[in-house]
Amino acid sequence: MEVNPIALLLVYMDSKGDRLLFRYPYEHVYKEKTPVHTMSLAASAPVLNNPPLVDIVMTSSTTSLVSQISTETTKKRNPYAISSSDELLQTTPPPNAQPVNVFGACTSFCNAVPKGQLEGFTDEVLSTLFAVKQQLCNQKLELKVNDVRFVSHPTLIPRNELRTSIGNTSNTSNTSNNFLSLVTATSNTAVPGAQPNVAPTKPQPQQMLINIVFALHAQASYSIVKCYYELSKRLGLALRVEEQRVGYCTEETMLMARTHDELSSQQQPLERTFDAITERSTLAQALKSIYHDLCTTGLLNTTLNQYLTVSFCLPQKAHQLHKKGSMVEPEVIDRCLRALKPYHGMLLVDYAELLDCVPPRAARMLLQLVEIYTPLMSLQMLASEADMSIEHVYKMVSHLVYWGKATIIYPLCETNVYVIAPDAPLHTKSHLVEKFSARFAGMSLFDAISHFSLPTSIGHLTTPLQQSARQGMLAQMVVWMLQHHLLMQLHTYVQFMPSDSDDFYGGVSSMNVAGSSSSDGGNEHLHEGTNTISSMGVGVAGELMISTLSHSINASDDDLNAGSLLSCASQPLPVPHTSRSEDRYSGGCSTGSENIAVQPSSSHKSNYSMTASISTENCDSIASIEDEERIKELLSVFNETDRAAIRRIPASSNVDDLSLLVKLYQAGYFKSEHHLEEIMYFQSLRPAELLQLLDKFRDVLIIYETEDPAIASMYNNK
Amino acid sequence: MQVSTNNYYEECGREGQIRCIFLSEFHATAGCKISCQVPADYVSKEVFDAINVYIIPKPHLQRCILTVNAMDIKIVGYPVGIENQQKYARNAFLFNLCFVCDSWARSVQYEPVVKKLSEYLIMMEEESCFLSKEGDHKLKLQKIFETVIKDLNEKKVTTIVEGDTTIYLKIVIHKPDPPVVKDHMVPLLLKDFKNTPLDKWDLTTQQILPYINGINHIARISAEADVETNLVKSCVQNLAYYGVVHLLPILKYSNVYMCTQHLKSLIKIPSLSHACRKYVALNPDKTLPSIQKVFQFYASMTHGVTLRAICQRLCPQNYNIDERKLVIFGLQHKFIRCIHKYPVFTGSVPSGRQKMYTGLSSFDEICCKTGLSPSDIEKDIDKDTNVTVIWK
Repeated sequence: MEVNPIALLLVYMDSKGDRLLFRYPYEHVYKEKTPVHTMSLAASAPVLNNPPLVDIVMTSSTTSLVSQISTETTKKRNPYAISSSDELLQTTPPPNAQPVNVFGACTSFCNAVPKGQLEGFTDEVLSTLFAVKQQLCNQKLELKVNDVRFVSHPTLIPRNELRTSIGNTSNTSNTSNNFLSLVTATSNTAVPGAQPNVAPTKPQPQQMLINIVFALHAQASYSIVKCYYELSKRLGLALRVEEQRVGYCTEETMLMARTHDELSSQQQPLERTFDAITERSTLAQALKSIYHDLCTTGLLNTTLNQYLTVSFCLPQKAHQLHKKGSMVEPEVIDRCLRALKPYHGMLLVDYAELLDCVPPRAARMLLQLVEIYTPLMSLQMLASEADMSIEHVYKMVSHLVYWGKATIIYPLCETNVYVIAPDAPLHTKSHLVEKFSARFAGMSLFDAISHFSLPTSIGHLTTPLQQSARQGMLAQMVVWMLQHHLLMQLHTYVQFMPSDSDDFYGGVSSMNVAGSSSSDGGNEHLHEGTNTISSMGVGVAGELMISTLSHSINASDDDLNAGSLLSCASQPLPVPHTSRSEDRYSGGCSTGSENIAVQPSSSHKSNYSMTASISTENCDSIASIEDEERIKELLSVFNETDRAAIRRIPASSNVDDLSLLVKLYQAGYFKSEHHLEEIMYFQSLRPAELLQLLDKFRDVLIIYETEDPAIASMYNNK
Repeated sequence: MQVSTNNYYEECGREGQIRCIFLSEFHATAGCKISCQVPADYVSKEVFDAINVYIIPKPHLQRCILTVNAMDIKIVGYPVGIENQQKYARNAFLFNLCFVCDSWARSVQYEPVVKKLSEYLIMMEEESCFLSKEGDHKLKLQKIFETVIKDLNEKKVTTIVEGDTTIYLKIVIHKPDPPVVKDHMVPLLLKDFKNTPLDKWDLTTQQILPYINGINHIARISAEADVETNLVKSCVQNLAYYGVVHLLPILKYSNVYMCTQHLKSLIKIPSLSHACRKYVALNPDKTLPSIQKVFQFYASMTHGVTLRAICQRLCPQNYNIDERKLVIFGLQHKFIRCIHKYPVFTGSVPSGRQKMYTGLSSFDEICCKTGLSPSDIEKDIDKDTNVTVIWK
């Protein structure tokens, strides 16, 4: 698995030199090593438990000296991890190099180690590589050697001066932790005030470099590398805080260094040394548990020095749990969370494991949220129930989603339409099959899920006659399947797209003729209409006017009349272009009368418009003229072609319907970007209202079902 | 909170250009230094001093490809040491040829190139002390670097003649692994490669290419071209790796498709909608099909509706639409996806054909494997109460 780290290293450097204090895992690496050859020079090695005498971060002389020694220690050239073909090209090592083991560390070991382990790097090499120069500290360092990529954030930590001296005395006397923390309280108050004043005169406080390095597979993606970098940075920061608080780093590094010296002087193998370090040092234990957590769950919640909790999530790993083999990139989660809307809901994946991921201080608010949570609630409802701002809820939900503890859904309800997710791991060997039967005794996952082979809602699968128990059971199964990403919800999207006029009238050329023949009607649309399609729709009206009503139409107020006429004249949809105008007219009438029966509100208008156009000379009510004005105004947002198409729909003469359509159109809801639920939420519409509107204008709208991109991005769609 | 951090993800994995090439060497008196750099001073002295540990490393890291990414710069190098007690003041000549990229860029494709160029330099050094000798060699080296940087960035390939040595370099792009090719898949040759002359392809490709038309599946291509199936598969996989072909599900009128969230781009991107209208036209000489009709066709694809049913309802031929091309275009641009049928055996002990009903192989795959027609399998499954069918 390229997500897992190969190894974790702890490199330390101060003015005395650099050293690899701890690495994990170490067991396998050293198991088959050649016997250690130690010319124990441990006594001459820098002993770290003396307070350093030189107040410098590091001098080039010390490092070069140290590195020179460590260079010579390596006698055997080493085959680098995983690659073997390169060995042939490697140069022979300096022939005069003596095996001098300065740190008592193993200098050469066989490459007969299991694959995937960090091999071929001696501790000295690693130590010199990662005890970086000061310019490189506190920023990202990424180093790739053949197939291994190292990533780290070297952290400079100012030594806690008071603690250092106390630490030395307390180390000898093995003082209890309680005592230490008492002392710290005083030292902490003293240090911050004193430092800035004295800084210019006094030499800078001694600093040490702590570098927690993750060795990864080189193929690991950029996002994985970034996450590990973030973790290294966070650990460095935590250690820095702990150092300033109680001198934790000084203490732990000294302990480790002492253990190294002690055991190497006893000629113990390095493995033993690391064992001893793991036993003694709490920092080593923490690093060990971090490594294990990264390899198993990808979720960390490690407390350093029983005080500071470092929590971290490796999303690429954490999101694999409910679906093995999938890898969710943090980018994808980010995109999903950016698309969060108040109407979305949250679905907790595993209630029991939930509080693993919560840093203690945030727990109260999160508990508050989780207590009132149900998958039926939207985030908006959650916010108002929990008496929190929606931003707060977003943040907490984002947190839960990032940590793989929750997924985003549309709140569960009877009418939600679900279908099997395209990547659902449904096969006979899937571990989900057993998990499902364990959860729902006597039920088969395949039987349950096959209902969703066609898009189905809970409402459809149950009838009111059935007991509510069954419905509840079904809902729970749906929840379970959603938690495991087996189901996906479909939403309805709307695209504004007036169909071409030739759908109705076939040939284009004949309509052009009709249009031009009627242009003497003075219709403004016709004059403007340079493009053929626009003139087609209007052309019909023009023809109609000429043949049947031209006597009653005044050329000056034609616009209004043309408009009202259009609305009814363009009614008969299936009329072929060869049919006579009388047919059209009668068709228009019949539809008009149908309208009276079916839709009272719009029928009134179309009914009216007919009478109005017939008896134009009579002065009509002011309201109706206003309506016409309004319709004209509303229609002006569309371009010529679209306007003509809309005018052909009877509902367009209803001001209410048309204004709602225009409102939604202008708000950009008919561009396949928003599903019906979203439109209803943001426009406060009732489902019936919206569905009726869509039905009335179905000729200019194309409606289709697909998944919500925000939620679907979390599925591994191909 | 990790999720709200802006700029948290740099341009993940994008390839970048070579910004600079330099040669660093360990000078007998001056220590680590850059002896030749193109363009000059791209890597400043401060930066170099900070990272020179990784440029001229300890002997055990020699001849490793070593990439360091720090201080907003990414350097790919191949440190080398040539030992010769007579020739060199310190018994060895240490140098490293490095390519410099932006810190966000992917650089793995440069690694073999760096190594190869280094090997050329080693050869030239061993033969004529090209690098270590003082004199006008540095100018020549600079010329080489200039050519390499220019050619590789522009053409990804270069040939340089320097004295007796001819240097050939080429960047090979690493791509993600191609999909596994199965019998029932249909390869579709992409437009950009349509006009490549047949004799430019390798022999197997030449033989099967005439049968790759977006309709024939692998097993059929194999039969018609008279090429062994596995050979066809690996050939198609190779073509898929280089993005020459696209693998699609088999086209049947009984297939069910569903439109995806990408369908809206058909409207949003005018060039795409034009390309689509042009592609799906039944008769290219007539008026192109309207985008409304095409969109309507795609939009009516949903679960439970077969392609046949849609064709009967919408009569695509009347609108100059070739529904097969429409489906191919839709699949290729992910406007639609095919909903496959997976039989799953839910009984206790499978026997015979039931063993294939694992939920991992779709109907198409089973048909191809068994050589039975879909209706036979369907009948078979209908009779069997232990088999559930899942559409996804």
